[in-house]
Amino acid sequence: MKKAYNEFWVNNLAIQQISEQWHFKNLITAEQLESVKTDFPVEFYRPGLFVKIGLFIFACIACSFFSGFISLFILDAGEKAFALVSIVCCICFTLFLEFLIKDRKLFHSGVDNALLYSAFGASVIPFFLLFNNMQVWQYCVLALVILTVAMIRYADLFVVICAYCVVFTLLANLMMKFALGKALLPFAIIALSVVIFYSATKIRSTYYADCKKVVKVLSLVTLYLGGNYFIVREGNAMLGDLPYLLSPQIPFAPIFYIFSTIIPLVYIFFGLKMKDRILLLVGLFALGFSIFTYRYYFGFLTLAQGLAVSGAFMVILSIICIRFLKETRFGITDEPDSERKIANLEALIAAQYLGQAPQEHGLEFGGGNFSGAGAGSDY
Amino acid sequence: MNTLKALKSLLSKGIISDQQSAVIESYIVKKPFSVHWELRSLLYLGILLFGSGLGVIIYENIDTIGHQAIIALISLITAASFFYSYKFRLPFSWQKVTNSNKFSDYTLLLGCTTFLILEGYLQFQYQFFGTKYGIAIFIPTLIFFFCAYRFDHKGVLSMAITGLASWLGLTIAPLSILAENDFTDLKLIATAIFLGLLLIAISWISEEKDIKKHFGFSYLFLGGNLAALANLTALFNQDTKIAYFILGVALSAFFIVRSRKAQSLVFLLMGLVYGYIILTYAIFKLLPDTALGFLGIYYFLFSSIGVIFFLLNFKKFLRIKK
Repeated sequence: MKKAYNEFWVNNLAIQQISEQWHFKNLITAEQLESVKTDFPVEFYRPGLFVKIGLFIFACIACSFFSGFISLFILDAGEKAFALVSIVCCICFTLFLEFLIKDRKLFHSGVDNALLYSAFGASVIPFFLLFNNMQVWQYCVLALVILTVAMIRYADLFVVICAYCVVFTLLANLMMKFALGKALLPFAIIALSVVIFYSATKIRSTYYADCKKVVKVLSLVTLYLGGNYFIVREGNAMLGDLPYLLSPQIPFAPIFYIFSTIIPLVYIFFGLKMKDRILLLVGLFALGFSIFTYRYYFGFLTLAQGLAVSGAFMVILSIICIRFLKETRFGITDEPDSERKIANLEALIAAQYLGQAPQEHGLEFGGGNFSGAGAGSDY
Repeated sequence: MNTLKALKSLLSKGIISDQQSAVIESYIVKKPFSVHWELRSLLYLGILLFGSGLGVIIYENIDTIGHQAIIALISLITAASFFYSYKFRLPFSWQKVTNSNKFSDYTLLLGCTTFLILEGYLQFQYQFFGTKYGIAIFIPTLIFFFCAYRFDHKGVLSMAITGLASWLGLTIAPLSILAENDFTDLKLIATAIFLGLLLIAISWISEEKDIKKHFGFSYLFLGGNLAALANLTALFNQDTKIAYFILGVALSAFFIVRSRKAQSLVFLLMGLVYGYIILTYAIFKLLPDTALGFLGIYYFLFSSIGVIFFLLNFKKFLRIKK
């Protein structure tokens, strides 16, 4: 299928970004960077993140009121009429989307995202209205067909995430139909994640580079969660309508203990070894969740003690690593790779969580909002 | 696009020489894997968790641990942190100062956090400041402002601004402005708007006079949101709507114009969203109720398309070159 965005510019954009990194590292001169920009032109309209957010919000408003506008013409308020409105909207949104991409050279710039999602939403509504007694898996297959088309043509990240979720809903729904399937569900999730991860690593096209990253993250996460003891045990209790507060022990528990411990370590190890940041970061988060899992069932510290101990541990560990990696060791270094972009964000987090000075009423303490210090809210 | 493919493209266009290409290629192959930001984030998160945990532990065990012991411990941490930052300080400058020391930024943040805990503890246990709560809040605020400028630390600056706001009885943390402030109280609204405008003015001065220019963002973001949100609630709930309407429109316009100079287009977004809400509210307030349902659809449809058109061409309208 033809791709919606100009693939030539997508490639050039990647070349420009890589060249900028080289320039930051003083591998190429500023003049060379300039000639890269003229020789590999990119004509996409690419505003900053916040303009994108604004465009997205207002495009969503426009889309929803456009459908309201269309429905003004149809006086009959039955389900069939509404399905017709949806189809008309879907066609209009898609045409408009194509027109804007061609005419205004949009490239994931907010408006096109909003139009794509609206078109997708409008395209599935008729199925729910007209065939309202289908099985879940049938809906999943239908949605997956539309999502796949959208994914290949527009390479949109949110569409990829939706498709991924639909695939796993489909899997779970089919497995739940059999008694044995329920017991094997975690293993099926792990197997499917591995298959998807390996197919994702085979993608070479720059057009889908970001999609590939998202799929890699998602498959690593589902692979880990599929083997996580907490998820499996609580999920098992939930699916079997067993007492929720005191979920019973699960079969093959030791396997899941091992999975919960090993998988994050394997991720981190290979992340460092293969210099793969996605693996490393998912591994770090997975490790955090494994610690939470352990504390949930065998916890001997109170919440606050857990926070303080893990905080102290993290501080000490990071200081040791920073000192150790002053010089490059095992191909790993503490030298920054590129400029940090979120310094302002850090300052705002400090304002949100640390800055509450002693209050006049109630607790006269400065520690701030204890409940929500970053990932600590999981504890 | 992998880097080697990009290198080939550059070589084929003759932008880089064969020799340079060889250098870059060997760099790509040998390039060490940087875990700089991962370790910094871990450190930052660790400090946040440790601070929160310690605070709760002290609160829970206030009766069993000796008070002196706790105070001594916290003071020790505070003093050590401040001492470390002081030891590795750089000469003061009104420009941005980037400290190459790896930890001094973080020890400063830790020191400021534990100082707050220490002060709260003294007040709780010994009524150190008696009933003069104002002073209890004002002292750390002053210290934080001083530290923020002396050591060039945006995080501590945010803490100082928060302190200043809570001295006036306000919560300024971005996500809690609406939830934790009682904006039905006219006096509080006035205070919030005043403080917000003051912070906006400071940001303006910082950037125009080049006094710690990079602090402008924090001032404008925190102050701007406070003023705009307080003004918005006032517009909805209070009587003198025309005054709040004018102020709100002026604020929005200021944000939009300011986004040209400020380092971030977040202000363009803020100005548009606040401005849109205010104008929409005003139009719906003025129109007769009977026309609303029908005109509403047209209004939202065309106004949002108008905003999109503005955003697609904002660089032209605001004469931003890049």
